[in-house]
Amino acid sequence: MQKKTNWTATFLIAFGTLFILFPLYMTVSIALKTPEEMAESLFALPTGFHLSNFTKAIELTNFFQAFKNSTVITIATVLFTLLTNSMVAYAVARNRREKFFKGVYYYFISALFIPFPIIMLPIMQLTTALRMNNPSGLIVLYIVYGLAFNIFVYVGYIKSIPKELEEAAIVDGASIWGTFWRIIFPLLGPINATVGILTCLWAWNDFMLPLIILGKPEMATLPLVQFVFQGQFSTDFNLAFASYLMALSPMVILYLIAQKWVINGVTQGAVK
Amino acid sequence: MKALTETQDKQDLHNDIRGTTQMKRTIPTKQLKKKAAVFAAAGLLAAGSILSGCGAGTQAPAASPADKQGAADGGKVKLQFFQNKPEAKVSFDALIRKFNAANPGIEVTQVNVPDAETVLKVNVAKNEVPDIVGMGATDTFASLSKSGTFQDLSGHEGVKTVQPAYIDMVKKTTGTAELYGIPLTSNANGIIYNKALFAELGLTVPKTWDELMAAAEKIKTAGKVPFYHTFKDSWTTMISFNSLASNLQPENFIEDRKAGKGTFAEGYKEIAEKQLKLVELGHKDQNGKGYGDGNTAFAKGAAVMYLQGVWAIPEILKANPAIELGSVPFPASNDPAKNKLVSGVDTLLAVSKTTKHSKEAAAFVSFLLQPDNVKQLITEQKSFSAVQGVAQDDKNVTGLNAAFEDGQLVDFADHAIPGTMKIDTIIQEYYFKKDMAAYLKKLDSEWEKVQSRK
Amino acid sequence: MARQRSVFYLMTVPALLLFFTFHTIPVIQGIFYSFTNWDGFSPSYDFIGIKNYLSVFQDGDVLNSYLFTFKFAVLTTLLVNALSLLIALGLNAKIKLRQFFRGVYFLPNVLSVLIVGYIFNYLFSNVFPVWGAKTGIEALSGNLLGSMEYAWIGIVIVVVWQSLAFNSILYLAGLQTISEDLYEASSLDGAGRWREFWSITFPLIASFFTINMVLSLRSFLQVFDQIIALTGGGPGRATQSIAHLIYTGGFQGQEFAYQSANSVIYLIVIVGISFVQIAFLQKREMDM
Repeated sequence: MQKKTNWTATFLIAFGTLFILFPLYMTVSIALKTPEEMAESLFALPTGFHLSNFTKAIELTNFFQAFKNSTVITIATVLFTLLTNSMVAYAVARNRREKFFKGVYYYFISALFIPFPIIMLPIMQLTTALRMNNPSGLIVLYIVYGLAFNIFVYVGYIKSIPKELEEAAIVDGASIWGTFWRIIFPLLGPINATVGILTCLWAWNDFMLPLIILGKPEMATLPLVQFVFQGQFSTDFNLAFASYLMALSPMVILYLIAQKWVINGVTQGAVK
Repeated sequence: MKALTETQDKQDLHNDIRGTTQMKRTIPTKQLKKKAAVFAAAGLLAAGSILSGCGAGTQAPAASPADKQGAADGGKVKLQFFQNKPEAKVSFDALIRKFNAANPGIEVTQVNVPDAETVLKVNVAKNEVPDIVGMGATDTFASLSKSGTFQDLSGHEGVKTVQPAYIDMVKKTTGTAELYGIPLTSNANGIIYNKALFAELGLTVPKTWDELMAAAEKIKTAGKVPFYHTFKDSWTTMISFNSLASNLQPENFIEDRKAGKGTFAEGYKEIAEKQLKLVELGHKDQNGKGYGDGNTAFAKGAAVMYLQGVWAIPEILKANPAIELGSVPFPASNDPAKNKLVSGVDTLLAVSKTTKHSKEAAAFVSFLLQPDNVKQLITEQKSFSAVQGVAQDDKNVTGLNAAFEDGQLVDFADHAIPGTMKIDTIIQEYYFKKDMAAYLKKLDSEWEKVQSRK
Repeated sequence: MARQRSVFYLMTVPALLLFFTFHTIPVIQGIFYSFTNWDGFSPSYDFIGIKNYLSVFQDGDVLNSYLFTFKFAVLTTLLVNALSLLIALGLNAKIKLRQFFRGVYFLPNVLSVLIVGYIFNYLFSNVFPVWGAKTGIEALSGNLLGSMEYAWIGIVIVVVWQSLAFNSILYLAGLQTISEDLYEASSLDGAGRWREFWSITFPLIASFFTINMVLSLRSFLQVFDQIIALTGGGPGRATQSIAHLIYTGGFQGQEFAYQSANSVIYLIVIVGISFVQIAFLQKREMDM
């Protein structure tokens, strides 16, 4: 409407970013300081790079092991989620007039309203009985639990893809299977981005499932490691913050690189 | 209000957006198709193998790195040692390194988590009991023992070397003839005080409750803080509670309470009054400070006295290596002969019933019970040995030795209280709200609630 | 063609079975255990009928956790939605550096909830009180999380700080679907800002508002990570959420089945609320 820059809004939005950035500034600055510097001033910039906090934190928390665990779990989860959930959604979306598939659709959606704590205790027993209390078991759970939300998102998107493309392919003698992988899946790019990003953030940052599923300390993911080492950090906040910063960094760096893409992906999912 | 036909508009808009995105996308090239097919095939294969792998109870392809290592280093026996004290992690790590070096066929790793008892129960529920568990002789230990989690260690060679009093304490906790945990160290909680400040204010070590109150008043008039409380962490409120309740509760109070005789409202009145006195001798921010804050602040001289267990001493020294500390038993009453030191089994060693390596686990337990290793542990932790003939001669805690020598000891009162009550939160609430009637009533009502659910 | 149709079943049935195994069966198990006295690790248990349910209804701790959770969730939902709508309007206006600001506001969403909790825990203990002391406001000079009355506000602050990101982006997406022409038409009528928002903007993003309200209330009712990182449910039980009570209570001994009963009630409550919410908000959407 107005083509002029709205300075009031610019100022208010800029002011708001202070609230977002302050805790992060503190995190970085505390992670780089020595306890002596902390005593002098809380808010001043660190004088130099005290990497000793980081080396100590890496050693104490076995950072690289946890980083590897988180990475493997996240990548596998995202990959299989995209491949499997989209396929299920396609079958549901293209047959939604039929009772069975309609039922499947509502069955998944209704699971969205079931609070996690009710399955917290039984799922522990189940995963133990099936020897799934390890990273692979966790990956399976993420893929399966993702269905509830992802079917909803995918079906909305697939509905809007015209059927003519598929029909033409079927006439040419392609199978439904082939049609999905060759024609539909490639068209799902934008919504795959949405699902992929949300799944990635969930698997990377989740704390509750790893807490109750993963049995052995060497399997721990990054958030879980922060929890496990709280007691060791109690008198050395600089060490704690170095550890937090390292745990947060991979996602932040990834986000900074692909920021536009991430936000567009999430937005895409919202505008159904 | 303009009644816009917005639903229609919205639909059109959605379609517009969709349309544009799809218009730009043509059917991908052949190469891409191939890629996608390969990708999908690989994905399905992997997914299939994960699922079948789990079903068959074998390791799925994304096996944990540790398993791969296990295969690589010639099938070492791997043992998990779970212990509940964050302060002791480094000390145990050192002992574990020593053990692993001496036993190349065995590899022990330590697990130490916050809220350790809850996590331990999670593991038990998952049927994943760590091979060896180090914990206090608590209610959790008792209920795990009763449900058959641990092995009976009565026949273990180390038992003979341990003070019989501590063996009895463990058996009393579990209420069984079997011995499910071998005591390794004992602790004490009393008053830790700052020697320099004591000297500066001309204070002497208090032997009775009245002397303690007089000293506290003197500290206050000098403009200093008598006690550094850290009530943000609810468990730290147990220190003052145990110091008082263990000494002042009526004889056999808990047994009687179980039998339906007596109430907290009657038996704990004096305890509650004295608790409140201590709370009022703290500092302004005591509700907002945690254990870590307290160790650091006390090390810097923020208060004259600190109600903590001896396990806090290494943490305090970490924050200020130069500080000189003294420790005394807490004088709960005005009869010095009756004031006993609150001391319990700090760490006992239990072995899982389901461990596949009982022999190796027993070897590790024996190793920890060796006098030189116990000595190393109690020197670092400032705790006391349950193994006979190992003395604690650290100057920061020598003030407690007399009580140990004379057997002037009493077990922690809260060890007899069911964990479900979460008594620490009840006490924490009392320290915040300072409502004595409500506190005593809550102790009784929560006790009855838990008993009725059993 | 019939053979072809079977492919659709092949695509769906495995997922259905897996979901049933890992989601529905545990739900049924949870309901089943709630009628027993199982402690979670003993080899045996007995059926005790509805005794657990009767106990839950008499349990002050359960009531307390419901009160806290609802107080927290309702307030946080309102705050998050109001603020994120404002932020979205700001980001949608013609401002300088729009891309940059959009990136900053979304940043908290990529951070681990637990670690954000730990960071704020430190700020509440060691940073905010320093400011409070400097400004001389007595109420701010203590640790907010160490207060029985106000600790929950600390948790609200942290959750709002982190949840704004996602909701703002969703609202922004909604705002961007509104075409400029509508506003141009209305500005010719001389409609004020406020009128414009209520008669054009809000009705057009009403569906986003519905989704946001339902989803945020649902997730705030399940608050857990922040509680672990900030207060552990304390002081006392002042900030114990339902999820936290189920987790800690479920493992403190003799409580597994009992907390299952608590979770079943919780399930009924959440499902009920979600349906009422959807029905109510959709009706509003229609009426507008």
